[in-house]
Amino acid sequence: MSDYLFLIPILFPIITGALILAFPIKKDKSRNAVTFTISIINMIVTLLLLIFCDGESVVLFSFNESLNISLHVDGLGRFFGGLVSILWPFAQLYAYEYMSKEERRNSFFAFFTMTLGSVLGISFSGDLFTMYIFYELLTLLTFPLVMHEGNKESVKAGRKYLAYMLGGAAFALMGLIVLLNFSGTVNFMKGGFLAGVAPENRELLIVVFVVMFMGFGVKAALMPFGKWLISAAVAPTPVTALLHAVAVVKAGAFACIRLIYFCFGAEYLHGSFGQYIALALTIFTILYGSCMAVKETHIKKRLAYSTISNLSYVLFGACLMTDDGLYGSLSHFLVHAVSKIALFFCIGSIIYVTGKTSIYDINGLGHRMKKIFACFTLCALSLIGIPPFSGFMSKYNLLEAAINEGSPLAIVGMLAILVSAVLTAIYLLTIFMRGYFPAENKLSDGIDTAHDPSFRMLTPIMVFTVVVFVLGLLWNNVSSLIML
Amino acid sequence: MNILLLVSVFFPILGGLAVFFIKGLKSYRAMCIFTAVIALLTAVSNCVLCFTDTVSLTLWEVNDTIAFVFTTDNISRLFTMLMTFMFVLVLFYSFDYMKHDEKSNRFFGFYLCVMGVLAGIYFSSNLITMYMFYEMMTLLSLPLVLHTMTKEAVAAGLKYIFYSIGGAVLSLTAVFYLYNSADSTSFTPGGFLTAEEAQEHPELLLAFVMCAIIGFGCKAGLFPLHDWLPTAHPIAPGPASALLSGIITKSGVVAIIRVVFYSVGVDFIRGTWVQYTWMILALFTVFMGSMLAYREKYLKKRLAFSTVSQVSYVLFGLSLMHPVAFVGALLHVVFHSTIKVDLFLVAGSIIHNTGCERVDELKSVGKKMPISILSFTFASLALIGIPPACGFVSKWMLAEGALSSGIEVFAYLGPAVLLVSALLTAGYLLPVPIDGFFPGSEYKDEHIEKCEPKALSLVPIAVLGILTLILGIFPGPLTNFLETIVTELCL
Repeated sequence: MSDYLFLIPILFPIITGALILAFPIKKDKSRNAVTFTISIINMIVTLLLLIFCDGESVVLFSFNESLNISLHVDGLGRFFGGLVSILWPFAQLYAYEYMSKEERRNSFFAFFTMTLGSVLGISFSGDLFTMYIFYELLTLLTFPLVMHEGNKESVKAGRKYLAYMLGGAAFALMGLIVLLNFSGTVNFMKGGFLAGVAPENRELLIVVFVVMFMGFGVKAALMPFGKWLISAAVAPTPVTALLHAVAVVKAGAFACIRLIYFCFGAEYLHGSFGQYIALALTIFTILYGSCMAVKETHIKKRLAYSTISNLSYVLFGACLMTDDGLYGSLSHFLVHAVSKIALFFCIGSIIYVTGKTSIYDINGLGHRMKKIFACFTLCALSLIGIPPFSGFMSKYNLLEAAINEGSPLAIVGMLAILVSAVLTAIYLLTIFMRGYFPAENKLSDGIDTAHDPSFRMLTPIMVFTVVVFVLGLLWNNVSSLIML
Repeated sequence: MNILLLVSVFFPILGGLAVFFIKGLKSYRAMCIFTAVIALLTAVSNCVLCFTDTVSLTLWEVNDTIAFVFTTDNISRLFTMLMTFMFVLVLFYSFDYMKHDEKSNRFFGFYLCVMGVLAGIYFSSNLITMYMFYEMMTLLSLPLVLHTMTKEAVAAGLKYIFYSIGGAVLSLTAVFYLYNSADSTSFTPGGFLTAEEAQEHPELLLAFVMCAIIGFGCKAGLFPLHDWLPTAHPIAPGPASALLSGIITKSGVVAIIRVVFYSVGVDFIRGTWVQYTWMILALFTVFMGSMLAYREKYLKKRLAFSTVSQVSYVLFGLSLMHPVAFVGALLHVVFHSTIKVDLFLVAGSIIHNTGCERVDELKSVGKKMPISILSFTFASLALIGIPPACGFVSKWMLAEGALSSGIEVFAYLGPAVLLVSALLTAGYLLPVPIDGFFPGSEYKDEHIEKCEPKALSLVPIAVLGILTLILGIFPGPLTNFLETIVTELCL
């Protein structure tokens, strides 16, 4: 019974969001209040359910014997669902201020709210097919957000977004059909449902794994399919921050983790050529993302490249196909979510206040927007991986898993992560340097009067910065949360 | 008692922050007094820690493996005392030097922060704590490097952090590996790695130790990551470049000592390719640094190249893993600090007071600032290694250690390189006092006016100049202390 309750956090935002879309709320204040209340209520309900309800599989609807719509709440789902529902209200708080200058705010917040439901749907799905449905829904709901600005560039970005997403999902769907054909079920099961199924077809199934991994990898910005994330950086910052640093890309990573550990099974894949291909792709992406981030001068796109790189840390951990690997992967999942959202918010505030988007135009801004830059610096240190910040702990777990796995590719991956850490330092600290130490002490034009934004934008940033720091110190408690 | 560890590390950091944020410190005088009081109180705390029994303090325990812990041992005593002495002395020098600087409060603020963070590096009792303070030191000493904020200074600052962070991350490989394979990870003389743990992946262990040596060697100016040093040190204001060269480069040395002698243990490294590569890199750096210094025209840059060369003497001594060479190396740490701080302070005064930056502009400078140049002369002689000045003792022990270590080729190659480098040192340092005091008969400077720095700055210069002699004549107590470290390490 209790599992039907998990429909509430999924459907509530989708229905209320649709209602707001159908019956627009004209006044900003009341719409903000309504949407904020929705996400707060949703957060409370989700957390209460996660704490008090034990997960049981429940079938909502059956197409035939093997194809169901079902919910199942296990450790991984709790982790992702909890993370998303906690981050959401903060992002909304930030969005109210940021969007106050933009047009068509009603539809923006309607879709923004609906997206929450689809992400929670992904995290509470009980089988691959249900997850696939919510996965597609997430694509369709975020598509209007990407092209929100409505100019030529964003329409183009939106099309690209849709093409990549649907293409990736199509690959995943093909794999889903093959899997269904061989095993007769696609219900998630710890350790995978393929153990002992069709041993003579193992090769084929591993090819299917590679195809599906790449398919889900599109959302997780795995190269060579990650370029959409860069084009999508034209979207308003709350979208880039929440969706492209947390919800959408993390949904992709989440799907990959589900695929590896709950469909195929880590043991089934470990040591196969599929694992090596997956590892090689993630290692390539880690390096590619960081290198491109160093090259990029548009601040938001720079962080988008950084997301590409960091998401592949998560995938790399997952692809080690060990328990340690999963643990490291989820550690970085969590830490990256919090630090990257804070970094994006800082950058967003800079764009919101000064209108500057190039790193060449922010010389000396650190002396004007003091709080924003202080938070930026601390989160940057975390992402680089300097103790005692949480970024160090997550990298520690990842690298420990890589050493313990011990295969040559894992060691290469470990070195790649360290090289990427140096590159991270370069692409983040150049912003810090320009902000605090402008050459010749000259400020860039037009930032003389810049100042910290209002509390609605500052609060989420500061809260996340504190969390980034405290998570590192309380890592022991955090890790018990992640250990599934 | 162990609460003093917190005082030594965090009190100066807080004091440094106070210098930025307290509005009442607007007047230069008030700020100087405030800074001096904080530095002296920290110095007292450091001294008490260094001259009493071992204490330790757990700052924070993240989980079973990762903890931030401070403890005092002989290595930390040596380096802390050296650091404290130099920081206090140079602080008094900088009061006069920074007088007309607009951003002097930033300078003094970060000066104090660096003082605390360095103590943190020395007192760290495991690799992760040390790594944390190591990175903090890079970031907090950055404002000292780019203090003047000219385009070149900012570019040098960027180069400085990227090399430093790159080096630190490179050495992080070893940190991760050691943490992963060993049970206990707090520094132990002779290494905490047991034979079983070292046998797990011997090649990986060696490769990562090499990474750590190269990575931490970055701060010490070891080839191939030395390139930032001659860019960043000269561009800083005089007192800052003195400390960067004299003290902060030594934090790289401390880190290498901690990894090789206190974490891994020399037994697993002796005789392997790591030792040979390390020796080759160090000797090459010694030679290269001296050569580059010899052909460098700008005084401060010349001194920076000299630092590249001299710190690698220390690293060469450590790489021999021989008791006499180890003592020689640590002696050279102390002596080189004294000498190089002195040289940079004088160079700073010369540039500050006369505006001459190139060595060939320094004719008759000895007549303008006799005491400073006299001190410079003593320090130069010491660095070249002419008895009884102090450099002789350390170089003697380094050469003796190399010869008696019995390592093929290097036993002879090492002393030979040291000798050549000593000649080059004479070649690049002595022109300053020679031209300074004896500009030649055709050089007639009619209007020689005294421009000796003020007493507050002159005293540190004179003290250091005399110290280079005293330390050379009475190295006994120091050597005895270093020998206790060697016994502890069972080299």
